[in-house]
Amino acid sequence: MELGLFLGCNTPAIRPDVERAIRLTMPKLGVDLIDLEGYVCCPAFGTFPSTDEDSHLAVSGWNLSLAEQKGLDLLVECGSCYSSLRVGRELILHDEKKRARVNELLQPVGRTVEGKSKVRHITDVLYNDVGVEKISKSIDKPLDGLHAVVQYPCHTLFPSELVGFDSPPARPRIMRELVEALGAKVDSFSREYQCCGGAGGFHGTSAAEARGFAQTKFDAIKSETQADFMVVSCITCLMFLDNVQKELSEGNGKYDIPVFDYNQILALCMGFDPKQVAPICTVSRDRILERF
Amino acid sequence: MTDLATANKNLWRDVFDSEDLRYCFNCSTCVSGCPASNANPPLLIRNLARMVILGLEDELLEQDTPWTCVTCSRCEEFCPMNVKPFELCLAIRKWQSRNDETRIPPSIVEIYSRGYTQAVERNTEQRKALGLPEKLSAISEYPELLEKFRKMLMQTQVISKNAYMFEGV
Repeated sequence: MELGLFLGCNTPAIRPDVERAIRLTMPKLGVDLIDLEGYVCCPAFGTFPSTDEDSHLAVSGWNLSLAEQKGLDLLVECGSCYSSLRVGRELILHDEKKRARVNELLQPVGRTVEGKSKVRHITDVLYNDVGVEKISKSIDKPLDGLHAVVQYPCHTLFPSELVGFDSPPARPRIMRELVEALGAKVDSFSREYQCCGGAGGFHGTSAAEARGFAQTKFDAIKSETQADFMVVSCITCLMFLDNVQKELSEGNGKYDIPVFDYNQILALCMGFDPKQVAPICTVSRDRILERF
Repeated sequence: MTDLATANKNLWRDVFDSEDLRYCFNCSTCVSGCPASNANPPLLIRNLARMVILGLEDELLEQDTPWTCVTCSRCEEFCPMNVKPFELCLAIRKWQSRNDETRIPPSIVEIYSRGYTQAVERNTEQRKALGLPEKLSAISEYPELLEKFRKMLMQTQVISKNAYMFEGV
């Protein structure tokens, strides 16, 4: 299958090793990625969707029209981009007045949008289109003997009617099964379904409280699991849960669980070069990377 | 003490014109499990819903808490009355942006100027070292598209009204 690659901004600007991992692993699983010339901010919820509906619709419409022009559905890793584009598509596809308004805004710059292109999260495509069997068969360096914990991207869960693809949505299992397909044992813990807390203004306005919120997750992981590493599939979860451990370690206690995006750990299991697919991190990944 | 006599009874129509809002019975499901309910001051969506319903315009305009929302939409999923608390939170931000230009997120000026909040076009050395194409298909690579993107944005309501913010970027 062919999908339009919507990278967002954090992945190419700050964690391009995740982009490298996505571009290497997906084609190996039969998912060819097509770049979209001139894509812009998704738009992030704190930007145009917090300004007015007009600009929100215009920017969503711009991005969706790029995919529509090529007849492609979109592949997205970033949770915020995924959710924002799904909301935008919903408004454009199902609300006639809003569709008319967005086309009124796009028309003078020579674009149109109907909302035909679907917006897919990468874990949805990996689980529902590729499937765990094919993933297991694609790897030659399994994670045998290692314990993992997983972080579900909140933007892929709620509101389930709009963004969901796991079932049932409040009891997701896709991340777990995707990691198990690589040979690791996935340990459960009490804060498994708690959001990372890294998006929006929470960490920016209340840094100590956001750290404290994340600490409850890491304390649960430390006391309830044998986790060697953590797997996420959202760039915000990745950056926040990795970086916040350094901040937490400046207080009492040591927090040093390596965090990987799913496609990074998949790329390592497929035998791709760790220096290309997983070098950028705050918490050292060496004790995992030395296996590869 | 809040004086309800001076309240704007039509505030809800201006902020969040949704009949769903009147079903809110302050159960706090939207607060339970909300990451930003741990913020300082806490985001308490049910209180914001009350402010909108009661028409407490001045108080609502002063609220910073809607901006701490992490946008996880957990409240939207579990609200038993389908009030759509996350949409309400964004609606309050939009209402504030319409009524107080200092509330307009500065990030939209960055997006107007280069398409994104992050400088995606500058990361060429690191991309090369990772074996990636040095240049992304980002809008900064297509000046004529960026011009069209800006032209489109300039037609939208809040931006056209505050055009001075975007001059010379």
